Amino acid sequence: MTDRLGLGLAWLLGLLFCAIAAAIVIYFLVEGIRYLRPDLLVTNPAPGVGESQTGGFLDPLLGTVIVGLLAMAIATPVGIGIAVWLSEFGRPTGFARLAESSVEMLAGEPSVVLALFGAVLFTVREVGFLSQTSHRIVLGQSFFAAAAMLSLVGLPMVVASTREGLQAIPSHVREASYAIGKTKIATTRRVLLPAARPSMITGTMLGLGRVIGDTAIVLLLLGGTLTFQPANSVPVLGLLRGTGDTLTGYIYYNAPTGDGNQPSKAYAAAFVLMLMVLVLNVGVDAVIRRSQRAVKWS
Amino acid sequence: MRLRSRVRGLAAVSVVVGAVALPATAGAQTLFGSGSSAEQPILQVLFRAYNRLHPSIKFNYLADGGNAGVQDVQAGRRLFAVNTRPPLPSDAGTTYFKLFLDGLCVAVNPSNSISGLTITQAKDIFTGVATNWSQIAGSNLTTTIDPVGRNSSAGSYTFFQQAVLGGQTQSSNVHPVTSDGLVATSVSKDQSGIGYVGLAHTGKGSGVKTVTLNGVACNQANIKNETYPLFRYIWGVLPTSSTSRTVEKFFDWVRTNKAAGQIISRAGAVPAFNKK
Amino acid sequence: MDEDDFLERDRGLSQDQRAELGLGALVFVVMALLVALFVFVLHEAWPSFAHNGLGWFGGGGSVDQELQAIARSGDFKQAPVYTFHAWPLIWSTIVITVGAVAIAFVSSLFIAVFMVEFAPAWLRRILEPVVRLLASIPSVIYGLAAVLVLVPFIGNHLITQGEKASVTPTIQLSGSSLLAAIVVLTVMIAPIMIAVFADGLRAVPRGWLEGSLALGINRWRTFWKVGVRTARPVFVAGTVLATARALGEAIMLSMVSGGVGFAPNPVDGLMFFFEPSRPLAATIIAFDEELSSPPMKHTLYAIAAVLLFSSAMLSVIGWAAKQPMRRYGVVP
Repeated sequence: MTDRLGLGLAWLLGLLFCAIAAAIVIYFLVEGIRYLRPDLLVTNPAPGVGESQTGGFLDPLLGTVIVGLLAMAIATPVGIGIAVWLSEFGRPTGFARLAESSVEMLAGEPSVVLALFGAVLFTVREVGFLSQTSHRIVLGQSFFAAAAMLSLVGLPMVVASTREGLQAIPSHVREASYAIGKTKIATTRRVLLPAARPSMITGTMLGLGRVIGDTAIVLLLLGGTLTFQPANSVPVLGLLRGTGDTLTGYIYYNAPTGDGNQPSKAYAAAFVLMLMVLVLNVGVDAVIRRSQRAVKWS
Repeated sequence: MRLRSRVRGLAAVSVVVGAVALPATAGAQTLFGSGSSAEQPILQVLFRAYNRLHPSIKFNYLADGGNAGVQDVQAGRRLFAVNTRPPLPSDAGTTYFKLFLDGLCVAVNPSNSISGLTITQAKDIFTGVATNWSQIAGSNLTTTIDPVGRNSSAGSYTFFQQAVLGGQTQSSNVHPVTSDGLVATSVSKDQSGIGYVGLAHTGKGSGVKTVTLNGVACNQANIKNETYPLFRYIWGVLPTSSTSRTVEKFFDWVRTNKAAGQIISRAGAVPAFNKK
Repeated sequence: MDEDDFLERDRGLSQDQRAELGLGALVFVVMALLVALFVFVLHEAWPSFAHNGLGWFGGGGSVDQELQAIARSGDFKQAPVYTFHAWPLIWSTIVITVGAVAIAFVSSLFIAVFMVEFAPAWLRRILEPVVRLLASIPSVIYGLAAVLVLVPFIGNHLITQGEKASVTPTIQLSGSSLLAAIVVLTVMIAPIMIAVFADGLRAVPRGWLEGSLALGINRWRTFWKVGVRTARPVFVAGTVLATARALGEAIMLSMVSGGVGFAPNPVDGLMFFFEPSRPLAATIIAFDEELSSPPMKHTLYAIAAVLLFSSAMLSVIGWAAKQPMRRYGVVP
C-alpha cells in the first residue's frame, strides 16, 4: 500500500513540477511577447520619466554579449588548461586533489562574494588602467573588472566538462599515440582535445549560460550606467575600460523593486534573456546528441 | 625565425598595453560625483546638456544617497556630491552651494479621501504613534496605515527627519526604499499607503496625490515663494580644499544658465537663481 | 624541426616537462586566486569582527538602526562605529535556507526517482531538458516573476487586515515575506537537486536492481530500497550543492524577502510566514551603494566572510560525501 502511495506521490510531484516549469516559461513568453517591440532592441536607454521616453535596451543587450564573450575568452583556455593538467598530468597527487577541491570550492562560492572580491581587487591603484582613474580616484568598475570576476564563475563548468570528456577517452588511445613516439602534450593537443571537443563546447556554453545570468557581479563591478560610458575614445579598449550595463542589471533596475520601475521593459528584457538561455540550452543538447552519434572508439 | 615572431608578438602586446594605459584623449576628463538619488533624473539631464556644450567633460554619478555622497567627498572618493539637505556640523571639510529649489511632498493613494495633514499628524504617522487611518480626520479609510519612506543614506530622509520628525528616527514599520520613484510606486499600489517624495515624482502620471501640509499645497509656486513648509534647496557639495574648478564652473552653469533653468523646471523642480 | 631539437638539447627540458610546468603554473595561479579571495575578504572583514567579537553573531538592538549608524559614521571627523549584531539577518538566512532545502529535498527526491525510473519515455524526454532549462534561468528572472505575481498575491489575498494591525507599528506586512522567499527559492534550487539526484540514481549498477527484481520485489520497493540507498552519498552531495546555492542567493531574495532587518517570530503562528526579513546575502546587495564608506565596507565584508566560509565548508562536505560512491566504482 505504501508502495502505491510512494509511486503516486512521485507521479504527482513529477507532473506538478512540469506544471510549474511550464507556467514560468509560458508566463514570460506571453508577457514578453506582449511587451517586446522591435524598437526596444535597437534603441538605447535614455533618462526620462514615463515609459515612452526611456528608450529600449540595446546597450544592455550588447553589454550582456560583451561580458559573456570576454569572460569565456578568459575562462575557456584557462579551464581547458586546468582540465588537461588534472586529467593528463596531475602530479603530485596531493596537489592535484587540492586543485580539484579548489575548483569545486570556487564553483560553490556565491557571486556576491566574488563581486566584493573584485571590488577590492580593482580599486587598487596599480590596476587602475583596467577601469578609469580621475583626480586620484580609481573607479574600479568596468567591463574588464566584471568580465574578470565572471570568468571565475564560468571556469568550473569548463573544467568539469572538459575533464569528463578527456576521461571518457579510453586509455588505449593514449597508449597507441605514445607507442608511435608522440609526447604527452602533442598527444593531448592533436588527439585528445579534438576528441573531447564536444565536452569543451558544452562546458563553454554552460559557463556562458551562468555568466549571462549573473546579476550580483554586474551590479557591483559594471557601474550600472544604462548606456555605454567609454573611458576614452580608443575604439574597443575605451569601451571595455568604461562602465555599462547588462540585461540582468537592466531587469533588476526596471523590476518593481528597482529604481527604474518599468515592469513592461523588464518583461521584454527578461524575454530576450530567456531566449538566449534557451538557445544555449538547445545548443548544449544538440552538441551532446551529435557527439553521441560520433566516432566510437573500438 | 622564432626570434622575429617573438619580437612581433612583443610589439603587438606593447601596442595594446599602450592603448589601454594611454590617458584619455587630450583634455577629456571624467568627473566622478555621487549623492542624492531623488535628484538623479534631473542631474542626468543636466550632465548630458553640459556635455553637449563641453564635449571633453563627462560625468560619472553614483546615486548612493545625499548623506553618503557628502562622505564620499570628505574622504576624497568623489570629486563632488549633490545633497538634498542643508549642511550639518558633521559635514566638516566641505563647502555647500545652492543649486536649485525642490519640495518634499507627502503623497497618498488617490482612493484615500484625505486632502491635508498637519505636520504633527505627519510626524505621528511616521513615528508609529498613529497606526490606523481612522485616527486621522479627513480620511475615509479604516485600514492600518502603511507608511513608506527612504533609507538612511538618503538626503530626503534626513531632511524629513529634521523638518517633520523633529530629529527622531522614523518608526520601524516605515518601509524603507532606495529611491523616490519606489516610494511613489508603493503608495500608488497600496490604498493605505503614505510616503514622502520629491516634487518631481508627484506629477499626473505618478499614480499618487499630494496632500497639503499645514494648509499649503506642494507645488512649484509655493516652493518658489517658500510658503510650503517642506521646501528645500538642492545643494552641490565640494571639498573645501583642492576644489575642482571644472566642477565649480558646472555648478555655476546649473545655478545661473537659462537653458539649465528650463531643464530644471521641466523636470519638476524649481529654478532659484537662473536667468529667465 | 632542427630548431626544436637545438633548443631541447640546450634547455634540457622536454616538451612534456615544459607543458607540465606551464599548465601546473596555471593551476597554481587559479588556486592562488582562491587563496587571495579568502585573504582579501578576511582582511577587509577583520575590523568588524574585531570590534564586535562573538557578539557579531548575536542579537540585541535593531540591526537596521545599527547599519544606519554605521553608514552615518563614515563621516570625516567622527569615530567610526562598528557595532553590529547580525542575528536577525542570520536567523532569516537560516529559516529561508532550511525551509527551501527541506521542501526541495523531498520533492526533488521523488521527482528524480520518477524521472529516472517510472516516467514513460516520452515524459522523460520532456522532463530532462526542462530540468536543465530551469536550472539555468537567471535568478533575476525568478525574482521578477515573484515580485509581479507571487508577492501581490500574498499581499492581497493571504494577509488580512487584522494581521497587519496586530504587528504595526513594529513592521509592515506586505507580500514580500518569508513565504514568498521560501517558495521561490525552493523552485530555484529544486532543478539543481533533481539533476544531481538523477545522475546518481542513473549510475546505480543495473545488476543490483535486476537482482532485487528477480527476487520478486516490486519495482517501487526495489528502486526505493536498493537504488535510493546506494545513491545516498549523491543525495548528500546534491543537497549540499543546493544549500550553497540557497545561501548565496542575493538578487532574488533582495526582491522578495521584505528588505527589513527583522527576525521573524515563530511564536506568531501562521503570521510567521508573512513577516518580512532580509537574509545575509541580500543585505550586502541592499547596502552595496555605501560600499565606499569604510565602516560599512568592513561590515559588508564581514557578512561576505561568513558566506564565504559557509560555502567553503559546504563544498568540502559535498566533496567528502561523494567519496563513498567512488568506492563502488560508481562515479556520478
